[in-house]
Amino acid sequence: MEKGLSNVFTAFLSPSAAGGENILSIIISFVWLLMFMVFFLYPSFGQRMQLSYMLRDLERKLNKLKSIKDEIRQTAIDTIKKVGKPDFDPTPEVDRLSEFFVIPPESMDPYGIVYKLEHILEIGELSYENEVKKLAPIAEEHQVKTLTNLVEIARGINTLYRVVRHYYLLGKKTSNIYLVLQIQMIMPQLVEIAEAYRMASVAFSQGQPIGDSIGVLVAAKLSDVENKKRYTVARDTMVEELELENRKVYVVRAIGPGGTVGRPGEAVKNLVESLPENPKMIITIDAGLKLEGEESGKVVEGVGVAIGGPGVDKYKIEEVAKQRNIPLYAFVIFESIQEAITPMRESIAKAADVVLQKVRKLLTEKVEEGGVVVVAGIGNTVGVG
Amino acid sequence: MRYTEGGFMTWGPRPREKMLQTITFLKCLECGAENSRPFMEWDFIFKVVGNEKCPRCGGSRSRIVNIYVPEKKESK
Ligand SMILES: [Zn+2]
Repeated sequence: MEKGLSNVFTAFLSPSAAGGENILSIIISFVWLLMFMVFFLYPSFGQRMQLSYMLRDLERKLNKLKSIKDEIRQTAIDTIKKVGKPDFDPTPEVDRLSEFFVIPPESMDPYGIVYKLEHILEIGELSYENEVKKLAPIAEEHQVKTLTNLVEIARGINTLYRVVRHYYLLGKKTSNIYLVLQIQMIMPQLVEIAEAYRMASVAFSQGQPIGDSIGVLVAAKLSDVENKKRYTVARDTMVEELELENRKVYVVRAIGPGGTVGRPGEAVKNLVESLPENPKMIITIDAGLKLEGEESGKVVEGVGVAIGGPGVDKYKIEEVAKQRNIPLYAFVIFESIQEAITPMRESIAKAADVVLQKVRKLLTEKVEEGGVVVVAGIGNTVGVG
Repeated sequence: MRYTEGGFMTWGPRPREKMLQTITFLKCLECGAENSRPFMEWDFIFKVVGNEKCPRCGGSRSRIVNIYVPEKKESK
């Protein structure tokens, strides 16, 4: 009987060698049959295999995120120790601060939400800065601001890591290939952002200007003249009064060289309300996200208020401009999200002079002599004094 | 799968971007000569530096006028 069966098989597999024993070909055919049965009876087998591949890939990238996160955390701790010289170990405090959160206001009833948001963000910023100050008792004020930025980066990467880990574990637990697929698809960009965070942490640990500083740098260069009046108009934000091409120019920017964006919205509002006459225009200068394929450091112009972030500052300038019918002009310097938070590139730094020329040209073309203009340089003023 | 796995297409060491060096550009307050050096911690634009000798006139006071990472093609 057994003999007969194998004879049938042999005949089936190699009819020319009918009757000859061929154990190997029998085994191979059984394996084929088995695999066929597996796929037939267990249709999601292929998907399971794919899922395990994807999870392995995700795990590797997640480990990379973790190593970047740990590196940034260590940079923050080392810099605080070096610059602030606390008489205790700042590690637990840094860990605590990297879990700090800010709850945005309820938007179900949007009335007055901008001011609520401003209020909450302000409390958050102030308390964060105070906490960092306690960790770095001997650091200078501008260094405290830059260290605060550094701890915020540690917090940002920590959040990123935790979210990615959440989706990885959830996908693994539920074997949900579609969940894993989504996180795997955006993973390369997330790793790129994490790398940018890593470079940003180096910049902030040494107080280097970053790509986002370009708006402030333009304002600083614009007001780099003698005979100017300088005063503070809002927290961390100042005005410099000067004459340019026979026009009266009020330059608004954050006070450097510590890492802060100041309160440009509040500052422009206060300034415009305090001026004896309405300015002929408000010009905002900021770094803007370029599209892929565009060159970094390209300067473009338009109308409106060029300010990124949560929108509070933008709203305030728009409000005051609308009330008084002041035209809004904007210059934007293109850069990528990575370039915005990493040490300033030459192409971006060189764009400052281009913007300066354009601002002067706009002044002479659109404002008559003796007219008043407000120019606001927007961005993080780290490394710009 | 192996295309996204990073095995097939990205074999070999990936050309990792090196941490580029930031350069500080100084202008002597006495003779106006510009020179540059690697960035030092807590340098900032428009900082007046009082302890670095100008290579041209030997003056000790200079002002930082720019800080940036030079583009690769132009770095010597
Ligand atoms: Zn000199």
